[in-house]
Amino acid sequence: MNAPRAALAILGKELRAEFRSFELLTSTLVFVLIVVFVFSFAFDPSAAESRRFGPGLLWIALLFAGSLMLQPCFSRERVNDTLGGLRLAPIAPVAILAGKILANFLFLTLVEAALLPIFGVLYNIPLVPVAGQLALIMLMGTVGVATIGTVFSAIASHARMRELLLPLLLLPALAPVLLASTELTAGILADPPELRTAWLVIVGAFDIMFLTATWLFGEYLLEE
Amino acid sequence: MTGKYEGGAFMQAVRSFALSAIVFSAAYAALAIAPTELKQGDIQRIFYFHVPSGMNALLAFTVACGASIYFLIKRNVKADWLAASCMEVGVAFGSVVLITGPIWGKPVWGVYWKWDARLTSTFVLLVLGLCYLLLRGLIEDPERRSVVSAVFCIFAFLDAPLVYFSNRIFRTLHPKPVILGDSDSGLAPPIARVFLYCFIVLAILMIALIWERYRLEELRHEVAELRAESDSA
Amino acid sequence: MQNLNSLIAAYAAAWLIFFGYHYTVARRLSQLREEVEKLKQSIGKRSR
Repeated sequence: MNAPRAALAILGKELRAEFRSFELLTSTLVFVLIVVFVFSFAFDPSAAESRRFGPGLLWIALLFAGSLMLQPCFSRERVNDTLGGLRLAPIAPVAILAGKILANFLFLTLVEAALLPIFGVLYNIPLVPVAGQLALIMLMGTVGVATIGTVFSAIASHARMRELLLPLLLLPALAPVLLASTELTAGILADPPELRTAWLVIVGAFDIMFLTATWLFGEYLLEE
Repeated sequence: MTGKYEGGAFMQAVRSFALSAIVFSAAYAALAIAPTELKQGDIQRIFYFHVPSGMNALLAFTVACGASIYFLIKRNVKADWLAASCMEVGVAFGSVVLITGPIWGKPVWGVYWKWDARLTSTFVLLVLGLCYLLLRGLIEDPERRSVVSAVFCIFAFLDAPLVYFSNRIFRTLHPKPVILGDSDSGLAPPIARVFLYCFIVLAILMIALIWERYRLEELRHEVAELRAESDSA
Repeated sequence: MQNLNSLIAAYAAAWLIFFGYHYTVARRLSQLREEVEKLKQSIGKRSR
């Protein structure tokens, strides 16, 4: 089996496992909603302040959600050592990682798609006119979060206190994505809206660098 | 493995004394020999320790990343020990940078801390270094610990330039690069000489600390082997 | 000298970290050396 087909097979397995119960998606969605609510309780923002702080809040919520959601990605496999089974399969180890990255990317995108309309309504930010650009920004940011999040989930799964460790490893490493995506989102919501391309380059570079690094070094994480 | 670098408490004391002597000589150069800077006054003397510490910390992180890549390819456990040692010493030097920086910032900028490009990126890099050390402490199996922490080290190091550039675009009020910066940058000769001396002294200090830390790793391995031997006997 | 306190504080902090770290490493080293000696002795006794 060649690597792309193997990756798709892994993706299919992840999707089937998730869509059987929707456990991960529902709990993550509820979590991001809670973050959004809590923020409004703590700051009680006016309409102008919402525009100013909204993008940052959105990305903080998504990053926290990611660090929770990516947690079970590898530790779930440890329960019955199903990862051992995957490793025995005649496929490239990188394909396992690629499939999981794809699956996590898809899950995060679904959460974002559900969150954005609610966010727009609650904070009174019109998102429909900039939907295309917003989608581009969300997708590019999410590639970065899913890639590095999946790799760090594999790293954390080897350690004690792995539930606590993943956010610790992940959040500082995602600092450039948080900064750049927040700026990009703020840019297209500003008046007049603008696409700040320098930030797009940063997010793009982040995605490419870490996808390459995963391709080169990721397989070492799957050794026994 | 035993024998080299032994010599017990006496040699240890000699080494400590020699290190203290050169560090104090550097401090004397920075505090007494270097001329007072015109704009900032004496507070600028912090820089003779602040900047070289930062450069050396960055050097240590670079070596750690190189050693991690070498370890993953060649599987030489010594490279992993070197990476761990460099990371720990780099974190120590990095914390010197982050502590002396605000002490300088308060009188000059009026505040201890600003979320400026270099402060933020140094801070993030230091946190990633701490995460690396934390991660090592949380993995039991030595072989797995080496592999996993090597991969994390590479990822963290790749992150550093991105953190720096993203902050650079965002906000900066740091002094412009003085060394290797624009054409009008550069240090006055007497300041440059003292600066170079401090850099060399701190580099020696760093290498000595890394060497000792590496020896620690070696001894740990030896203890583990001897334990296994005495258990099987 | 103006800002003397800040200068002293900065140098004190830097040295505290450098030498404090040096001290902890040295202490851990001597502990491990002792342990190696002990283990070697116990192995030597048993093999004799």
